[in-house]
Amino acid sequence: MIREYFKISIRNLKTRPLRSWLTIIGIVIGVFLIIILISLGSGLEGAINKQLQMMGPKVVNILPGEISNMMTTMTGSLKLSDEDIEAVKKVRGIEKTLPMLWKAEIIRYKEEKQATLISGVPWKEGASFLQDDMGWSLEEGRWPEDRQREVLLGNAVKEDIFSKVKIGEDFYIEGRPFEIVGVLESLGNKQDDSMAYIDLPLFRQITGEREGAQIIMAKISEDAPTKKVVKEIKESLEETRRRKRNSDLPSFSVLTSEKAAEMFNQIMGLIQAFVYGIASIAILVGGIGIMNTMYTSVRERTREVGVIKAVGAKNSTIVTLFLIESGIIGLLGGLGGIVFGLGLAKVVAFILRAQAGFFIEASITPGLIIFGLLFSFGLGCLSGFFPARQASQLDPAEALRYE
Amino acid sequence: MKTIIKLENVHKVYQMGKVEVPAIRGINLEIKEHQFMTIVGASGSGKSTLLHLVGCLDTPTQGRIVLDGNDISKLSASELAQIRGQKIGFVFQQFNLLPNLTALDNVILPMIFQEVPRNKREKRARRLLTEVGLEDRLHHHPNELSGGERQRVSIARALSNNPPVLLADEPTGNLDSKTSKKIMKLITDLYKKEGKTMIIVTHDPKISEYTEEDIHLKDGQIISNGRETSKVVW
Repeated sequence: MIREYFKISIRNLKTRPLRSWLTIIGIVIGVFLIIILISLGSGLEGAINKQLQMMGPKVVNILPGEISNMMTTMTGSLKLSDEDIEAVKKVRGIEKTLPMLWKAEIIRYKEEKQATLISGVPWKEGASFLQDDMGWSLEEGRWPEDRQREVLLGNAVKEDIFSKVKIGEDFYIEGRPFEIVGVLESLGNKQDDSMAYIDLPLFRQITGEREGAQIIMAKISEDAPTKKVVKEIKESLEETRRRKRNSDLPSFSVLTSEKAAEMFNQIMGLIQAFVYGIASIAILVGGIGIMNTMYTSVRERTREVGVIKAVGAKNSTIVTLFLIESGIIGLLGGLGGIVFGLGLAKVVAFILRAQAGFFIEASITPGLIIFGLLFSFGLGCLSGFFPARQASQLDPAEALRYE
Repeated sequence: MKTIIKLENVHKVYQMGKVEVPAIRGINLEIKEHQFMTIVGASGSGKSTLLHLVGCLDTPTQGRIVLDGNDISKLSASELAQIRGQKIGFVFQQFNLLPNLTALDNVILPMIFQEVPRNKREKRARRLLTEVGLEDRLHHHPNELSGGERQRVSIARALSNNPPVLLADEPTGNLDSKTSKKIMKLITDLYKKEGKTMIIVTHDPKISEYTEEDIHLKDGQIISNGRETSKVVW
């Protein structure tokens, strides 16, 4: 019988298409928000975690500035000094360190000129660090040699910044030729992929950045306890700074991959709570929309309810008929929301990848789709419940007299 | 003959705000199986209320109504719905067809509620619509049908579950006189063929000429009862 009830309910919805569609759109918006958030959110989480995993658990980053104040750290206006580098190096349990510096320079390749970030790497110890502990690998070519005019290109430099770069050709940095010896596999974010990596001493010569680093990466030896070493790095840095700069204590942060993940998850949690809050309100408004439509429809069809009661429909049948109707509104809204949500999530992921080099996979699982559909059908039924009950409790004799 | 409907001192009072309006005031009536009767009364005489009570659409404020052995004042809403579906067929003045459904689906609808299997109910609906002369209007919606045709659909619908009792509330009230005659002929033909208990409520004394018996209502009471008819016109 339920099949017949569905047929009847669908026909009822079709007789008032505009109102049905408007109500459905209300649900589409709410579900759309939720779906795009879930799929992009988990995609973002996956992308970040993948990056964090590339960085081994025994690697710590030492950054200038308070990590909670992201802006100062990101703009690179703060720097760590040579003393800071030494302070990190001498901590017991530190196996190796890698100071990293970067600066934008004009680069010429054949006829093309582009402002590009170049970074200095001490290849002797740096190459193995980047390979073994940071998970960097070559797409083609080889790693540059120490103190040679050789350049290693990030993946995006080859394709997006310059066109058709070939290994063995020359790259002109500040007018000085560097031989292109290798191209990296993508590192998963646009900033790292857009850099050209050269020998550190040469970098210092060209850019005039004679000392310090923007970031120090340090590898803790396998048998040393990470927490203790991190604490000692902090103490060592603090002591150095107190000694060298007296009262002046510019801040710094020591970041383990674990800590980074924790911070990221905290921020994600906040963003998600906020957006879920908004999405919940949208869903609530959609549900009220369904309820409103259903109350109107019960009122309009009072006489019809009287008729079907007269020909033998029980109260439970009337409830079922109206619930199916509101459930279908919810379901169609959910379907629309899922289609638009996933569609837009794909587009956003594509744009992020193309424009920002940020690899988010909009995660679309069958589970998410089924959840979305069940949720919206349930929402429809829930919103339709009170109107349906009102309809079922109409007195048939009175309902038949209703004009 | 067996009594199918029995009313014992039935009262029905409507509550209009704070005022109590008596619609039916102490009616005693026995209707036998296969009886064909008209209830005649002016508007406000309580005739529609009486029909609703007999048809289990409403329950009496006081008194007892026994329909085919069931005391309806003791039944729950869903048991009443069950009885309406199985034992009563309604024909209304306003036809009361569902506008979204075709003629065929309108006739099928009561059978869905009685869980009649799909192929059976469609077959029966087609047969009934053919019987009332609408075999070429099966897939028309009510708004594509004339008044007379709509009333034929509603008669077919009333017969769909083959109920023992057929109740008609002013079945010709919205029809012109020519169509009215045709509908009354259809009803009397059906009576002869199917032998159901048929009760027609009307304000029009001419309708009572078609039936074997009539009772007259005034102010919620029966003022004449049990005319042995001698002027049946068929």
